[in-house]
Amino acid sequence: MLCCPNLTRAFALALLLLALSAAEACAHCFVGPRFLPATLATDDPCVADEMSLPTVQYSKTGDVPPATEWDISVELAKRITEDFGISVGETWSQIRPPGGPTMAGFGNLETTLQYQLLKDGPHELALLLGLVVEWGGTGAIHSGLADPWSTLTPTFYFGKGFGDLPDSFGWLRAFAVTGQIGYQFPTRSFDVDAGAFIPQTLVYGGSIQYSMPYLKSEIRDYQLPDFINHLIPIVEAQFATPVANNFGNSPITIGTINPGVIWVGTYFQVGAEAVIPVNHASGTGVGFLGQLHLYLDDMFPTTIGRPLLGGSSAPPQQLKF
Amino acid sequence: MRIRILILSALLAVLGNVAAQAHAFLDRASPLVGSTVASAPREVSLTFTQNVEAAFSSVQVTDGNGARVDQGKPQVSGNTMRVGLKSLSAGTYRVRWQVLSVDTHKTEGSFTFSVGGR
Repeated sequence: MLCCPNLTRAFALALLLLALSAAEACAHCFVGPRFLPATLATDDPCVADEMSLPTVQYSKTGDVPPATEWDISVELAKRITEDFGISVGETWSQIRPPGGPTMAGFGNLETTLQYQLLKDGPHELALLLGLVVEWGGTGAIHSGLADPWSTLTPTFYFGKGFGDLPDSFGWLRAFAVTGQIGYQFPTRSFDVDAGAFIPQTLVYGGSIQYSMPYLKSEIRDYQLPDFINHLIPIVEAQFATPVANNFGNSPITIGTINPGVIWVGTYFQVGAEAVIPVNHASGTGVGFLGQLHLYLDDMFPTTIGRPLLGGSSAPPQQLKF
Repeated sequence: MRIRILILSALLAVLGNVAAQAHAFLDRASPLVGSTVASAPREVSLTFTQNVEAAFSSVQVTDGNGARVDQGKPQVSGNTMRVGLKSLSAGTYRVRWQVLSVDTHKTEGSFTFSVGGR
């Protein structure tokens, strides 16, 4: 596996194609009346059948002088059961230092197992546990774009809408927050080639978002233009702080703050965010992040939009209040 | 190259077979969500972004004390669900709905409207 990264990726993608052809599509993130969109820089707190294709990011590194970096990634998420899902992601990167050779190639393959702990509709609360695995040696390690070691990141995700506040809070009830916190373990403690320790890292982030669809359908319909009623303005933030085995390395927290907006449609959403580094180690200047995200459960409700196992093929129960 | 072909094949497979069904969102309501109407409405009408299944969709309207003020069975036609109302006095009323779109996605929501000058 370590010697054949291209074959590994091809095998993983072939498995995805097999799953697409044989499985059923899944739901995106509804919690009671609240819809939490797929966030761009962090993850939403639901297992789902969805695909980000592509996510494109432009930024400049924190080097002096800074290098220009493009990242193009794809991720496919699939429910195995109603509450358990898996996602597979891959990123292609190009780094162009001024006056230097351009580096380009794939990063390591990333998989995530996720289990839905809770969906509390009346309180618009969702909790999720995940294990993110970056498979070492599956990317372009000779270009320096991927590491030969793997990392494991147990992660906790949450989402909370504020629609359960009293009606007197009015338009404030359309706000929601999401967040995630994980602890990243590398499978090696020392990088012999670089002569440096490989730190264990706390990775965390979240979003605050304002749902115009929620405002229109739950609080007050101001009869705004339809385009406006599909928007969710959002500010995301993501950080990484080395917390152990970091001898001789920089202890600085890196991260970005991403203000932007997501347009939510029936079958897909489109998001765009500015990427603002929190310090010089995190990057130089303002970057850009854009994403097209497909709702497979709505696109293929009777096939790949359902869980692979235990999907609701039987007629639904009569709904009662 | 093989990977690009696989990714492109997956994309084409996805985009080429899209069904015209999805979650049913509330598109508009009468009375309007959060509105105040001068005279008491005789029914609540909800229009969704998708057609809904009558047998598995429901709506109720309650007054400020939680008492039901809707009457009769909700009527569903395509993407619209209607329910009659009792004679309403001035006050604030809550509409709660659940629908099942024709592709079996369930959605729900609630909102208030007011009658009179409140």
